Amino acid sequence: MLAPLGKMLILASLLVSAAGALLGFAAGRTRSREALLWARRFAYAFAALMGLATLTMEYALLTHDFRVSYVEHVGSRLVPTWVTIVSLWSSLEGSILFWGFVLGIYIAVATYLTRGQYEDYQPDAIGVWLSSAAFFSFLIAGPASPFGVVANPPLDGPGPNPLLQNHVLMAIHPPFLYLGYVGMTIPFGFACAALLRGRLGHSLLKPLRASLMVPWIFQTIAIMLGGWWAYEVLGWGGYWAWDPVENASLLPWLTATAALHSIVVVERRGILKGWTVTLIQATFLLVILGTFMTRSGVFNSVHSFTQSAIGPTILAFLAASILFVVVLLAFRIDRLETEGRIEGAASREAMFLVNNLLFVLLTFTVLIGTVFPLVVEALKGKQMSVGRPYFDSMVVPIGAALLFLVGIGPALPWGRATREQLKNALLPPLFGAGLFAVIGYILNIRAPWTLVTLAFGGYAAQVTLGQMLLTVLQRTKRGESAAAAFVDGNLRRGRRRFASYIVHGAVTVAIIAIAVSSSMRQTTELAFTKGQTLRASGYDLTFLGFEQRQEPHRAVTGARFRVARDGKVVATLEPKMNQYQMMREPVGSPAVYSTAAGDLYLSLANLDVANESVFITVYAAPLVMWIWVSVILMGLGALFSLVPARRATAVQSRESVPAAAETA
Amino acid sequence: MNRTVFAIGIVIAAAVVGVLFAGLGKDPAVIQSPLIGRSAPTFALQEVGTGRTIDIAQLRGRPLVINFWATWCGPCWEEHPVLVATARRLQPNVQFLGVVFQDQEDKILGFLQQRGTSYPTLVDVKGKTALAYGVGGVPETFFLDANGTIVAKYAGPMDADTLQANLMKAMR
Repeated sequence: MLAPLGKMLILASLLVSAAGALLGFAAGRTRSREALLWARRFAYAFAALMGLATLTMEYALLTHDFRVSYVEHVGSRLVPTWVTIVSLWSSLEGSILFWGFVLGIYIAVATYLTRGQYEDYQPDAIGVWLSSAAFFSFLIAGPASPFGVVANPPLDGPGPNPLLQNHVLMAIHPPFLYLGYVGMTIPFGFACAALLRGRLGHSLLKPLRASLMVPWIFQTIAIMLGGWWAYEVLGWGGYWAWDPVENASLLPWLTATAALHSIVVVERRGILKGWTVTLIQATFLLVILGTFMTRSGVFNSVHSFTQSAIGPTILAFLAASILFVVVLLAFRIDRLETEGRIEGAASREAMFLVNNLLFVLLTFTVLIGTVFPLVVEALKGKQMSVGRPYFDSMVVPIGAALLFLVGIGPALPWGRATREQLKNALLPPLFGAGLFAVIGYILNIRAPWTLVTLAFGGYAAQVTLGQMLLTVLQRTKRGESAAAAFVDGNLRRGRRRFASYIVHGAVTVAIIAIAVSSSMRQTTELAFTKGQTLRASGYDLTFLGFEQRQEPHRAVTGARFRVARDGKVVATLEPKMNQYQMMREPVGSPAVYSTAAGDLYLSLANLDVANESVFITVYAAPLVMWIWVSVILMGLGALFSLVPARRATAVQSRESVPAAAETA
Repeated sequence: MNRTVFAIGIVIAAAVVGVLFAGLGKDPAVIQSPLIGRSAPTFALQEVGTGRTIDIAQLRGRPLVINFWATWCGPCWEEHPVLVATARRLQPNVQFLGVVFQDQEDKILGFLQQRGTSYPTLVDVKGKTALAYGVGGVPETFFLDANGTIVAKYAGPMDADTLQANLMKAMR
């Protein structure tokens, strides 16, 4: 019987994580080597047990064992195998189990990589990680158990939510999000350990930064995949709606991004230690808050899992975590001694500080907008929602200011700068700013904030490119070949620096693409009869007719359109309506024709198969593709910055030297 | 101890946790329907299996629970035993009605035979009744008092406590 087996594995993982947490904290207090060794073993044991429990569930899903309550809940013999596999995270209980699985992997890898090093911090860090693990084991064992025994198993089940079956991105977006969300536990553990030790030494910065960067990369990609999924599936032509749960994924990302920047200041100047630790802890707390939002049923959204009783349990954990963090900070923050100070307002460290304040401001803005409806309802008893206008009017200026910093921050030198240095650093990029704004104006962009964004983007682009090429220029002046200078200066020695400029460049592209695509979007509503050709946003659309097919789990009706531009056929698009067996309302699938210049997006509004007529909404927006591309580039850039120095050198010397020799 | 950090931390924590806690009590499934407080739209539909017509105008005089559902809806399966047990317990003081739409009669019959029932299930052939009640999805449940006025609406599957809480409103 799989259900009792799974239950047993979860109970065992609860036991080892609780024991390991106690041992970890004990080892932190007593410096007992023995206790630390056992804490580590329990950490590995937790990961192994969670892995086995997850495998058990996957096996139950794949064999359609409806005696297991979760399988009865989401399983179906009709759906394709890939849907069955990803059903693990399609509903509440399974998603918490998946959370435990990911947490196990993170804890095991972090414990393994820090073994023998950072002995000062590791015991307490393991204590914190396993405390969180114990809480989630408890959730899986009790309030959200997927391993219930079904007394009278049905022959078939309803299958997962059809919306989640509608696009393959749904198989990718949640795992990335969990890898981001759950991974924030690891830097949280290090940050707490630093406070418990009363010391944030230089040696801890490396694991702190790396353990924050890895989940940050996943979180970045996950947010983008979520937006992309919404764009490809939901059919309203947009990718972000300020839905409470979208905000929940954004909030920890904002504080984590701020922390990644403040760590640089700690490294360089030895200041902002307490602040950095606070940001990392806030990130973890926001992750738990986000989990509460999606799992409690307090917020209504695409992402809300059905009503569940685990809301109060997660809220209690959140309250306890906040209290722990506040007390820890209050008692220990003053012990994290500051080694330097900020030299002047026009310095790079000052800009880092402004960057951090803006990120925190953005975090509060989004947080307030998200919970405000709850406040109003609690006080006045009225249901309301905070819409786009609030978020747009608040977030656009802060976003533009951050883009401005992407330009101005790296242009400024560390420490005190002379007037001459400032002039040389800050004036030339005005050319890029003007160039971008003028190009935008010529291309008919008139929205003031979009033009401002373009100007800031141009400034940032010039600074970023300049910084990328700086070392190459310096070295070629000394007589090195450009290729050798690039490889050695950017890819080998200055890798972290160079990688951060890749990320900055990608961010610049992303913000420009978001600003331009959202302000230049055209919407046309058209009614067609078969064979009719109509024009929208420079495209000629011809309705060719309907195509109907029956798939095992859904009936699909597609409306085929021929798309032509300047008399040349460029694509055939087929926006669809899918009628799932388990759902009353049909789910639409829009069809998108993407080019580097912009997207044409067709969404079915209404269709009449008998009369062969169809009503569609056509969205045309420039540069949309660049949003996805640039965010992937952000992730790759960040990943590049994590490649350890030694291994990269070996790779470089094998691959690049012959190439450099040829050019020489 | 750093009192400033402590004070700021506690204020933010109390605010966030307090607001979320206040939100916990409520339930986004309790929908403020424009129909609440009004006389329920009347309908007369045929019962599954027997074919006899049931007119809700004739059911006045005691509270009425109208549950919109379908066999293709997973959450409805969950809710079904709760409804059946409660209806059986409260008979004959409260009347329960199931209204099924966008479904096939043989499937409904099979479902009811397998899982049992304790109250009539009606077939809403073209979904007109669901439309009149503004049903946005299944399951959705309306609670009428003895005068035929809608006093509450609940979207989503109910557990025994939720059902009881809404029934209290109808029985007042």
